Amino acid sequence: MEEGSAFVGIADPRDPREIRDLSAAFKRPSPIELPQTLEGDEEHVPGVLTTTLDKIINFGATVSYWPLLFGLACCAIEMMACAGPRWDISRFGMEAMRASPRQADGMIVAGWVSLKMAPRVIRLYEQIPDPKWVLVMGSCATSGNIWDTYNIVQGVDALLPVDVYVPGCPPRPEALWQGLEMIRKRIREGKHGYDGMHTIPIRAAMGE
Amino acid sequence: MAQAKSIDELSAVHKQVASVLQSKFGRKFAESSTFRGELTYVVAPEDWHAVLEFCRDTEELQFDRLDCLCGNHFPEREEAPFEVIANLVSIPNTTRVRVKTRLSEDQSLPTVTDLWPSAGFDERETWEMYGIGFEGNPNLTRLLTVPDFNGFPLRKDFPLQGTVGGRIRWDFKGEI
Repeated sequence: MEEGSAFVGIADPRDPREIRDLSAAFKRPSPIELPQTLEGDEEHVPGVLTTTLDKIINFGATVSYWPLLFGLACCAIEMMACAGPRWDISRFGMEAMRASPRQADGMIVAGWVSLKMAPRVIRLYEQIPDPKWVLVMGSCATSGNIWDTYNIVQGVDALLPVDVYVPGCPPRPEALWQGLEMIRKRIREGKHGYDGMHTIPIRAAMGE
Repeated sequence: MAQAKSIDELSAVHKQVASVLQSKFGRKFAESSTFRGELTYVVAPEDWHAVLEFCRDTEELQFDRLDCLCGNHFPEREEAPFEVIANLVSIPNTTRVRVKTRLSEDQSLPTVTDLWPSAGFDERETWEMYGIGFEGNPNLTRLLTVPDFNGFPLRKDFPLQGTVGGRIRWDFKGEI
């Protein structure tokens, strides 16, 4: 052993009398030898990747889109199946369905919205912090479906800005999965349903 | 091998219930019928509260639970198109009975919330959906439809299709 070098050792559990020398493992690594920049090319510094803050945040949000835990009708059963082991959206960081809108990145409107439920849907949407993405699941939430009746909102897009519509009655988990992939694409591209809107559609209709 | 019991045959408990009710209200029942071993009695609206109270408080009957109270609409009936149905359950006797009454358009019923407090919600929904009034119900307000709703949706003459009065009728001001 060299003179003056620190001695780092660990007791061997099999034989406490034997002390092994592990100083090599704790040695400082040698600095990475960066290749020389090309002559006259001062813009490209090797080993550095330039990006914008939006892009890196969007990249992070792409792999951790947490929807609001919010099932309204039978579509919620397929949404649960999608979160279960067979389709397993936890592979894409979406398994954490938050029960609080303040921790969510968006909402899946899974089922018909009655007129009594509509104010609660709007309130939940408005409590989700920006940026947020809305997926509308199933024909009822998209257009009212067969419930062209006195008490059902004929399409959630009358209330909220919508990013992705998933048709079906109810849609298969694969269809919801594809819709969530489209949400991820929109996150990557930095697009939102409310782009270009001053206020959400229902507040615009109310004249606010 | 013993012969299988008919599905229409009344059980011993049901026979006892039928005899007690018939001896008390025999002439007041407008109609009594059995179907698949179930008892149904039709009473006049004036006897509604008295019959249900008798069913609850009599020692032999003890219908201590109001399973459900609902309405129905028969537009083909000229004088009494509406019906209110009470399904009673006796937990001590493990039996059921159904009591009906027939009403005209503007007729109302006395409430049975004093007998079973759970009747409050049932009567509220029956009033909301059919427009049948219940005198004495403490909270006869709209529950499932929006507060400014106009009409009774489960009446047969209510339009099946079409959002009444436009796409979204309810003014959300103050609600969101």
